[in-house]
Amino acid sequence: MRKIWRDVLIFSAVAVSFPLFILILIHFTPKPPIVEMEHARRVLSKAEKSRADTYSKKLFTEAKIFYDSAMVNWKKENKRFIYFRNYDRVAKFAELCTKKASQASESSISTSSNLKTKLKQKIETLNDLVDQIDALFNTYPLTTEIRNRISNGKILLGEAEIVYNKGQYLQANRKLTDAEYLLTESYEYASTNLKNYFKSYSIWRKWVNKTINESRNNKDYSIIIDKFSRKCFIYLEGTKKYEFEAELGKNWVGDKRTRGDMATPEGMYKITKKFDGSKTKYYKALLLDYPNDEDLEKFHAEIQHGSLPASAKIGGLIEIHGNGGKGIDWTEGCIALADNQMDVVFRIAKVGTPVTIIGSMVDLKDVVEK
Amino acid sequence: MKNKVLMGLAAIAMVAFLSSCGKVPQAKVDATNAAITAAQTAEAAVYVPAEFAAVQDSMKAINAAIEVQKSKLFKKFGPISIKLDETLAAANKAGADAAVKKEEVKKGVEASMVAVKAVMEENKTLITKAPKGKEGAAVLEQIKTEMATIESSVAEAQGLYDKGSYMDASNKVKAASDRATAINTELKDAIAKVHGKKAPAVKK
Repeated sequence: MRKIWRDVLIFSAVAVSFPLFILILIHFTPKPPIVEMEHARRVLSKAEKSRADTYSKKLFTEAKIFYDSAMVNWKKENKRFIYFRNYDRVAKFAELCTKKASQASESSISTSSNLKTKLKQKIETLNDLVDQIDALFNTYPLTTEIRNRISNGKILLGEAEIVYNKGQYLQANRKLTDAEYLLTESYEYASTNLKNYFKSYSIWRKWVNKTINESRNNKDYSIIIDKFSRKCFIYLEGTKKYEFEAELGKNWVGDKRTRGDMATPEGMYKITKKFDGSKTKYYKALLLDYPNDEDLEKFHAEIQHGSLPASAKIGGLIEIHGNGGKGIDWTEGCIALADNQMDVVFRIAKVGTPVTIIGSMVDLKDVVEK
Repeated sequence: MKNKVLMGLAAIAMVAFLSSCGKVPQAKVDATNAAITAAQTAEAAVYVPAEFAAVQDSMKAINAAIEVQKSKLFKKFGPISIKLDETLAAANKAGADAAVKKEEVKKGVEASMVAVKAVMEENKTLITKAPKGKEGAAVLEQIKTEMATIESSVAEAQGLYDKGSYMDASNKVKAASDRATAINTELKDAIAKVHGKKAPAVKK
């Protein structure tokens, strides 16, 4: 009987001490930084969602390295005997990961937000620039290369807008930078060209006033050709009577310098001959006294200065003629009018009628504002 | 005495059993990692980025959970195994979704290519009908330059398509399509505006 009681006692003691023993074993087990690692992972995931891998690459990469280091160390410690494990380094790496991932997240949000604002402004600015280019230079004779650059710039701007709307700001930025370069460079080239073209504006103004005064004093007709607006104005006794569309030489910007340069000359001329019927292939024509003394003087000066080769020849046979209305500058330097308009000009003009050809009636500022 | 020894051995055996009963479901871990790699190869990061990021995050959590269990005296991998099944399914789904999305984008690019080429052909016809009156022909010359640029942009898009960069091709062809459509509208407006009218001689 005593033996039974002794066995029961022993069994009870074991039953109580075993869980106690297990609890003691568990209690003294080193604790891994579960909360810290979970927090690090969540912060890292948040950083990834805020596109830190794109907008804060350095910080995000550092955070990832710290997380991976924490995991490697955790695995390494777990391979050791349970009571010899030390998770301090794991906790340290987790803490560093959290810190870097938070910074990456904040930096990414701020960078992408700033970039978004900056890109939006840039897109608006470049769209305005495209409008300006179209308004100013649509019919201005720019080189094919510049035209291609403008077209490429427009396409790139369109692509940039598409990727911007998809939230791909870095890609949008790259495309916008390229578009900006193409459009700005082309605009600057064209603007400089235009400014140079308008350098003679004060002289043109004097010619215009003189021509109108002549019309007033002689109580007769005078003709003014405005190359920039492609207009042919007919004045009678100092008052504008007619306004026609004119077409010019293919390379109408600037004064005519040599034969075959396809430029329409600038200067004060007079009609020397009138042709119609079989005498002209352009319906009706009014021959001008180009080159006049001034043109000859300028031409010879250029030869002397070496800005033109000695073999260069001065042009001639500049006319106001029909066959116009094509909507393009197609002549070799003449001024072309639609045939019905040419009829009017032919009727009022006579040998000696002044014809003044100028770059523009209005100055550059007004042109740009318009 | 014999009973004591037996009981002691039983206790030690129980502790040993309890502390080693959980095994890492390595086969499932490997299968899930393989599925994630397959999804990555299927460009899930490009076509279904949010879905793929969720899968990757889930795998990270599983790896951490495995280490948590390994750190314990008594390991329990049952819930992890369930989580692995879910992640494996999600990874497979991400791969499949990426393939579907990729095909969708590819088809979209093909359709856009056909559409933009049709618009360009129409533009070429419209140019011949467009008014060449005041500055018209000069503007048409600019339009022709722009159309040449659009054509080379479409060719670039085709190159990207051939390389399998469907997203980039899609962006490029969309931009080209927008420009081509803008030109189409411009030409149609110009034709409609002058339809039946003749260039007047402006008299003042």
